[in-house]
Parts: sequence; C-alpha cells; structure tokens
Amino acid sequence: MAKESFDKEIQFLRLLALTGGGYDRKQFAGRLGISVHTFDKTVRRLREVSGDADFADLFRYGYADSAEPVLLFLYRAKSMKESESRRLPLILTALKNSPQTVAELLELCSEELLLDAAMPDEKTIRSDLRYLEDIGVVSRESTQRPVKYNLNNQLTDCLSQRELMDLYEFVDIMANTQIPSVQGYLLRDNLKKALKSATPKEEWDEQWLEPFSYKYHFDARILDEAHLYTLLRSIHLRKQISFQYFSPKKRKSYAAKETNPLFVQDSQPRRQQLLPLKVVYDHQYGRWYLIGEAGKGRFVQFRMEGIVDIAEEQDTDEAEFENKLSKLDEQMRYSWLIDTGETVTVRAKFYRPKKQADFIKNRVQLQGQWGEIVESNDDFFIYEIQVNGVTEIRPWLRSFGSSCEVLSPPDLRQSFIDEWKEIEAYYESSF
Amino acid sequence: MSHLFEKIFNYQLSSRLQETGVYALTSQERAWLKSMLEHPAAQEALQPETIDKLQECTIDEEMPNILDRLEQKAGSRETQVFQPWLPTIRELMRQHQSMTIQCRTKKGKLNDPQPGIPCKLEYSMVKREWYLYWYNSQTRSLLHTRLIHIVSLEAASVSQEDYDQQMHRAQKLLQAPRHEATVEVLPIFNPELTRILHAFSCFDKRVEYDEERRTYRIHLTFTFSESQFVLTKLRFLGKRVRVVEGDYLKHRMRETARKALALYQTDSEEDQTIHSEKEILERRD
Repeated sequence: MAKESFDKEIQFLRLLALTGGGYDRKQFAGRLGISVHTFDKTVRRLREVSGDADFADLFRYGYADSAEPVLLFLYRAKSMKESESRRLPLILTALKNSPQTVAELLELCSEELLLDAAMPDEKTIRSDLRYLEDIGVVSRESTQRPVKYNLNNQLTDCLSQRELMDLYEFVDIMANTQIPSVQGYLLRDNLKKALKSATPKEEWDEQWLEPFSYKYHFDARILDEAHLYTLLRSIHLRKQISFQYFSPKKRKSYAAKETNPLFVQDSQPRRQQLLPLKVVYDHQYGRWYLIGEAGKGRFVQFRMEGIVDIAEEQDTDEAEFENKLSKLDEQMRYSWLIDTGETVTVRAKFYRPKKQADFIKNRVQLQGQWGEIVESNDDFFIYEIQVNGVTEIRPWLRSFGSSCEVLSPPDLRQSFIDEWKEIEAYYESSF
Repeated sequence: MSHLFEKIFNYQLSSRLQETGVYALTSQERAWLKSMLEHPAAQEALQPETIDKLQECTIDEEMPNILDRLEQKAGSRETQVFQPWLPTIRELMRQHQSMTIQCRTKKGKLNDPQPGIPCKLEYSMVKREWYLYWYNSQTRSLLHTRLIHIVSLEAASVSQEDYDQQMHRAQKLLQAPRHEATVEVLPIFNPELTRILHAFSCFDKRVEYDEERRTYRIHLTFTFSESQFVLTKLRFLGKRVRVVEGDYLKHRMRETARKALALYQTDSEEDQTIHSEKEILERRD
C-alpha cells in the first residue's frame, strides 16, 4: 500500500481547533483553499474516525479543562482493510487467553470468520504476527517449534490493581504536562482497560478515569507530534531532508486560487532542502519550530505546521554536523525563542503589587528564563536580560501591563510608549 | 522509534476491542513510559516496587536519545509536576470521604483547620502548579487552594448522605457563571492570524469571519477567575487585538493603558535627554 499521508487531515483539524468550529463550510473551505466538495469529503472521513456524529462540536465551548485530548483521534486514522479489522481482534483476544501457534490461530480465524469472503491463509496469519511482533505487541514464547506467540502485556499484568491505579494517574499527569505526549495518551487509553479489567464490577467508578483536570492547554500542540519523530530521527541519523513548506503567513495566497496544493495530487511545488539541527517547542503559543542549515552556513527556521511531505535525503558527515550544531547553539544562546539576531540587553522595572502577595516577582522568576533581578527594594525590582533582538521578549514584557516599565534599550522603551498610546486611544473611545 | 500513525491504533480495531478488555501495548508506549520514569516526578508518584517492575518491563525498549534535540522555550519553569498531597487527596476522593484541612493564606497567615470535602484537582499549565477545589462544610462555600499552601490534611468521617448533599452543592458552585467577551483582530494583522489564534487556543472560544470587513472576531467565554489570564493574553498581543464587547475587559484595558503611560509620562512632556536611566529608576508615580 502506498504510504498514507495525514497532512491534509492535520491541517484541517488545526484550523478547526483554532477557530472553535466557528466557520461555515464555505468559509472553512476558502480558508484552506479547497473546494466545498473536498471539505465535505474530509469531514466525512474524520467523522468516521472520531466516531462522533457532530465532531465539530468538540471544538466549541466547554472542553477547555478536560484531560481527554480532543484531537487524539487523528492518530487512529491509519486505514485498515475490513478483513484485517475483523481478523486482528480475534488474534489478539486469543493471545490474551493463552499462547498460540500459527496453526492454532489459523484454525480459530477459519472458524470465526466462516462466512467471511476473505478467509485468511497461513501466510496472512504469519504476516499479521510479524507486524505485531515488529511493533512490540506480541512476542515469541520460546524458540522451540512450533513457535508459540504471547500477547506482550507484562507491563500491566505484573501490577496489582492499586499499582495500576497509581500508574494510570502518573501517566495521566505526564501525558498532560510533558512533551511529547501522544504515546502517553495512547498508553493512557490502554491503561483504562487494564484498570477496568483488574477491578471487580461492583467497585468500578467511572470517575476514576478523569482524576485531574488541566487548565490552559494548547489543544493543537499534539497535531505537530505527527512529524516530530520523523524529524528527530533525521537529526539523530544526521540526514538531510527535503519537504514542502507552506508559510502560515501566506495562506491567503493559495486560498485565493482556490487550489490548496496539499489537496491537489498532481501539483509539484518547489521543495525545501535542509540539514535539520533541532526542534523547538514554544510554550507561549503552543507551537513547534524546525531549525536547520540550508547551505552555506545559513540557518533557517520553519514552523512545523507548514511542513508537509518530508523525505530523507543524503547523509551528513558527523564532524560537519557537530560543527554546524555548535554554531547554531552559539547563535541561539540568547534566543528568547528562536531569534538569532543581534544580542541586546533589555532592562525593565517591575512594580510590586501593593498590599498583596508578590505575584509579579513570582511570575518574572517563573517565566523570565535566564534573566536576572539586579536591583530590588520594597516598591520595585529591576530585571535584566541579554536577548537576541527584542521582538520575541516584547509580548511577554507587555503582558505585565502597567506593572512593567521598559528602561532600555531606548527604542524598545519608545515603542512601548507608542503602543500603549494606541491602545489607550482605542479604549478611551470604545465606551 | 516507529511512526505515530500505526495500524494497531486504528479506530475500527479499537472500537471492535472496546468492550473486550483486550488491549495491545506497543513498544512506542513502553519507550515513552521508560523516558517518563526517568523524570523526578516518577519517584514521587509511584512506589519503589512499582518502578522496579515497570523498569523491568521496559528494559528492552529503546528510547533512542533522539529527544535530546528537542528544546522547550519561553515556558514557565517546571517547579511542580507531582505534588506530595495528591495521593492523599485522590484517596479521599475515591472513597467519598471528607477531610479536615489546614492551609496558609497567600500572604502566609496560618488558618484554623476547617472541615470540608475535596472536589477537584486541577493543574495550571501556565503557573505549573496544582490546585484543589474544595467545599468548606462550615461556611458552605467553594474554595480554591494551592496544594503547596496546605499544611495538614486528614480524613474525617461523614455519612454517605451528607457527603452526597455537600458534593451536590459543591458541583453547583463549581459551575461558576461564565462571562463572554468578543475580541477583534485588526485586519492589518490578519497575516498574523494563526499566531493570534494559537494564543487564544487555550480558552473556550469560537471564531467568526466577516467577509465584507475582512475581520476576524473571537468570542471567548470564561469564568471570573480566568479573566485575569484573559487580560494577560490581551496585553501580550497588544495592539493586534481589541476587545469590542465585554465592558469589564475594556475597563481593565483602559486602566492598564492609562497607568502604563503614566509610568512613561515625563518622557514625552519634558526634554528626555536630562533623564539618565538612573533618574528614571528612582522616579515613582
């Protein structure tokens, strides 16, 4: 089977998650640069996968603090032949009960799938087992012939119900607070079943499944994990890569043509060539970046959400890779995020809240990265940081409102004055 | 590390296995767990025997050190992933028990022990901290306490009937009234739309596009306690967005802009050159 790509679905779901399902069909299709017909087709496919009649509702109000990742169903989208989706559950169920040989499994499938048009043969069963073995789901009990296969569930089988509960809650916390998280969420789904099986029916409580809630999650973040491993693997193997890139800023340009290249099979846009060096996750927006070298020592940055159709290219010499990486690390030493511009020193004065706990200082210490408090008294403190350019730190400083006064550099100070004036002018006239 | 889109995760397969209690654990999941067991939180959340068993089961999994090249930036320092009070509170919640709880206030004052019922444990991705919502049986109110402020917490007995009644009241209080506001993206900043939408993606929201005016409007709903964080986001985005509906947020933004300008006032009124940075530092409004 040709390699399945989920780039379309990812782009589609991202837009849906970001807009809260607020567009109508035509607007949505227009924004993606696709026809309404293609829109409807993609919706049909995703609806089938998510098992939800009106899955756009998932993205509207009322889910924001849930621990259930609303977009996880994307990772359940890989297609499977109907016959396979009937055969694999039989095999897995049989293996759960006891170790089985190929012959035993074949006999079982033949009995159970009696009326099925596509009766499996030995070759099919062997290939199923090979696949399951490859992904670590089954293992061979011994090397003796005929080989017996086991379901590889020691991880949960060796734990008591109490321990399963602890593990479930631990995995829930880690999947929700750490990156990467997709495998954690998939494991969490499996542990639900393990916990349920280990608990007598009369003691079971559905509320165990959502022990905690998590506030202010960026839901779309897990979509980009789809490419994460491909990219990290290429970095690990020191491989060059090529891919298509759609700058999020230029989305309009192909939307206008009503032909999103992603949704048109025969388009051949120019491919980007890159030696990938690192992936950066930005906590301020919940977005991902790929940074690498595009020839002649030029470092370039790409937003992960615009990257599609990645292909591995030639190898890079280890010494050359290390050399480039250390140059990049040096250039990014003072990046608030990913800026490799000129280093400047930013000084800002933070006023402490009056008669309240000092939440300003707490936040500066929590989020101020490598910056330092260089001066301090009862009323205010001075925070100083060296950063590459002021663009990336600016929103953070501004988010403190009137508790933060930028002291230097002078042009940053002036730009704050100008911006606050503009904001004031609007709000003075808005009542 | 294999591909995240595996056949084994397929939705048809998982729905066929739904009610059977059969599940398939992949190497990927074990490898992920293996790397999480190395996080200090594992030692706090799991018993040493459990960790031993899990390590034994994941020993063959290779989590190649590919995660080394993954960097996280501009986040809050991770001060707390697991909190020692979590197991105690979870146990009470599972057993439907009440508690006696003693906490410090934000300013550090020690309160008297209070009777109550734990209702909900919540982690803030922004503050990187755990909170407990609990019902105070004495004052009949719902409280929101940082777990690090809890000084002591012990199980207390309560009849099932009383528990249910109090929990019912608490659940009602948890449904805090929601406020609505509408934020508009200035059309000249439309090219930055995805960034702006990302910034709001952690809220309950709905986006609307007015084709004639080429204008995006974001409708937000939030509780009063969340409004502070909404304000922080609005200031974060600065002049790119404007609150067009929602008087409370408008007032607060006007107040912020006025106060912020007051900090810089003398810059524009007087000759700037006479103010050295030191003088600016010493000036207080």
